Order: sequence, then C-alpha cells, then structure tokens
Amino acid sequence: MSGLLERAHTVRQSNVWIYTTMMLSACVSLLASFVLSVDAIELAKNPAANLACNINATISCGTVGISWQAHLLGFPNAYLGLMAEPVVITIAVASLAKVRFPRGFMLAAQVIYTLGLIFAYWLFYQAMFVIGALCPWCLLVTLSTTLVFASLTHVNLRDNNLFLPERAHEAARAGLRMGIDVLIVVLWLAAVVALVFAKYGLALFA
Amino acid sequence: MAQKSNKQKNNKARAFSSATKSEPKTNRSTTESQRELMRLQREREAREKKVRTGVTIGIVAVVVAGILAGLIWLIPALAAKKAAGSDPYALSIGSATAAVTVDIYQDFMCPYCGQFDRAQASDLAALVNAGTVKVDFHIMAFLDDSSNGTKYSTRAANAFVAVAQREPSKALAFNTALYQNQPPEGSNGLTDTEIADRARQAGVSDALASTFASMQNADFVSKSNQAAFDAGVKSTPTVKINGAAFKGDLYTAGTIKDAVAKAGPK
Repeated sequence: MSGLLERAHTVRQSNVWIYTTMMLSACVSLLASFVLSVDAIELAKNPAANLACNINATISCGTVGISWQAHLLGFPNAYLGLMAEPVVITIAVASLAKVRFPRGFMLAAQVIYTLGLIFAYWLFYQAMFVIGALCPWCLLVTLSTTLVFASLTHVNLRDNNLFLPERAHEAARAGLRMGIDVLIVVLWLAAVVALVFAKYGLALFA
Repeated sequence: MAQKSNKQKNNKARAFSSATKSEPKTNRSTTESQRELMRLQREREAREKKVRTGVTIGIVAVVVAGILAGLIWLIPALAAKKAAGSDPYALSIGSATAAVTVDIYQDFMCPYCGQFDRAQASDLAALVNAGTVKVDFHIMAFLDDSSNGTKYSTRAANAFVAVAQREPSKALAFNTALYQNQPPEGSNGLTDTEIADRARQAGVSDALASTFASMQNADFVSKSNQAAFDAGVKSTPTVKINGAAFKGDLYTAGTIKDAVAKAGPK
C-alpha cells in the first residue's frame, strides 16, 4: 500500500504525468469552448433556441448564454478559450517531446493563464449568484481551467520559471514534493461542488 | 534561541541543495561535514515522507467524505422527490428552489376545493411570494357529469392550465377567482365568457383570456385527471406537503401555513 502510494507520488512528479494532464485538460477546455462558441452563434440567431444543455431551470446554458456576462468583452467569452487553449496544448505537447521553453516565456504563460483562471471563476460566481443558472459546458471549462492552472503552476514552481527568490523556491519545491498542491486543488474543487449543491440542492435534478 | 537554531538548519539545507546542483558526487573519502549534510538530507526526506503520507490521507479523506456525504444526502432526497413529483401534468407555481412543495389535487366544481381555497389562499399566496413554497396544482375534472352536460370542470380547468403555463404569476389569483361565488354542483357552472371575465379580473391578459373558448388544453386536463387517479388520489381536495399527504384540517385558515413551517428549512 505504502509502496503503491510512493510510486504514485513519483509518477505524479514526472514530466510525462504533468504535461499529459495539462494537455488533456486543455483539450477538454478547448472542446467545451468550441461547443459554447457554436451555441453562442445559435443564440445570436435565435435567443429562444432550445439548446441540448437546457436541462431544467437551474442547468441551462441558454439562460447563461444570453446574459451580458457571457459577452463581457463584446464577443462570446468562449472565443478566449479557442484562442488560449491551443497554445497550452502546444506547450504541453512540445514539453512532452522534451522541448524546454525559456523561463520568461513560461512566466508569461503563467501570468496570462492566471488571468484566465480569475475570469473563469468570476463567470462561475456570476452564474451561481447573479444569473442563477449553471451551464454544463461552462462548469467543464471551470474544472479544466483549474486543472491546467494546477499543472502549469506545478511546472513553473518546480523549475522556478516564476523567478522566485531561492528560499521561496525551495519552500515551493518542498510543498510540491509533499503533495500540498494536490491537496489544495482537491479541497478547492470539493468546496466548489459543495457550494453548487448548497445553493441549488435538488433544483439541479428538477 | 529556537528561532536561531531553525535558521541554522535552513542554512545547512540550502548549502546542501546548492552543493548537489553544482558538484557531482565524488569518490573522495567523505568528510565530517559531508556526512553531516547527508544525515540532514535523510532527516529532511523522512520528515517530508511523513507529511506526504498525511497529505495523501487527507486527500483520500476529502474525496471519500465528499462522495459519502453526497450519497447520504442525495439518495433519500431524490427518492422523496421522485415519489412526490412524478406527475408530468403538475402545474408548478412559485420558485423552483422553494424549500417546501405543496401539491393540490382539485376540481373546480368540487365544493370542498372551494372551501379549502377560501381558507388557505391568502396564506399560500404569501408563502409563494416569499419563495418559501412552490405549489404544484394537479388539475382534475371528474365532476364533469355534475354540470348538466356543460363540462364545467374541464372548461374551468382548461382556462387554468393556460394561465398556469403562460402567465404563472396570475395563476393563484385566477384560481381564487374561480372559487369565489363558486357555482354549486349540479348547476351549469360559469359560462366561457364568465370564466374569461374572472381571468381578466385576476390580471390575466386579454390575449390569453380570449383563447380559453377554443379549449386547447382539454387533452391535457383529461390526462392530468387520469394521472392523479393513477397516483392514488381518491378525493378532492387532496393536499400533500413535500410529498406527504396532509391529514390535518383543510378548511381552517392557518393550518397549511403551520404545516409548511414545520416542513420548511430549519
């Protein structure tokens, strides 16, 4: 048992695991963004369009899709995913092929993706507490964005692409070795799921 | 003092980590300080392994606890919901997220339904407006034979279905309007014009009220009637609170309100 855990721990720290996770999460995010973009066009043609993901009053991408929050910058938010996720996939695939990117490049990727993560959670907050409806594809984007962020941060902390001072870098590496990052992600996602159930409860299954 | 020794340890650990980076291992006889550094590293690894095991247990615990909590809460809740809300002909009025669902099985020709509504309507309207209660109306029309062939039950129900579906915010008022000066069993009931007039007085739009006479919901009403019988309803009014039959006094104001308060969120 303990041996198995130690093996799992070693695998988790490996480049293959980190970049594969990053690539798959980014692919999921890209797929969800693509569906949301197509739906956005559908909704623009006909705001009353009955989308496949309108399951009930609570789980409804139509309700979310026609809100102003869904076009914060004047175009559907999902277009941002169409632009950003292919870059992440490229980084992940190249890294799997042992390309090493300059630290500044990875730092820029981290900064931009962090902005994307903040935006994703702002949208989640708006859907939860302002619009009052959840859309399955948006939740998938929230989830996969979190996972991409976690793996990108893992690499950048480990390789000190964030230009941390020596001591902070050592502390971060120790934290990664002990799996603190996984604990944070698991607690975070558990909190998000708990929040959704606490707010909507059985209305999710209406 | 304690702080100082901590700092020393950190310095040593740091010295070690930079040493491993720059200098490959040599076969020279290990000096005192190298042995000391190796000992420090072993200590650090043991410490980290301990924390790592704790973190792993923590992660597994969070996931397992989450799944268990979800199942314990979700399965009975979904089962209760299925038992309560399996009628596709239920007409829901009020917030979908309301804590309490009140099911009302009624026929507009039934005198006791009228008595029930006159006693409870204002409480129900207040509870629905407050978002505490969602009312699921189950419309029945088994008293069609008690209106001299005019099928008043179906005609009134047809109008109510239209309002509940298209202008739900007016449904409670219209329901109450139909029970005010309710035509007695065995009479012709209200005429189509009278039904439309009462709808307009309850705030229903002209456009909708003028569609009643075409009886678009007659099929819905007969299916809703059958669904209620299939669900085991034997008389009207039948009232359920969160799926459980209400067995108290239906005809005294305040009884439903009290029962809702008991069933409501803690």
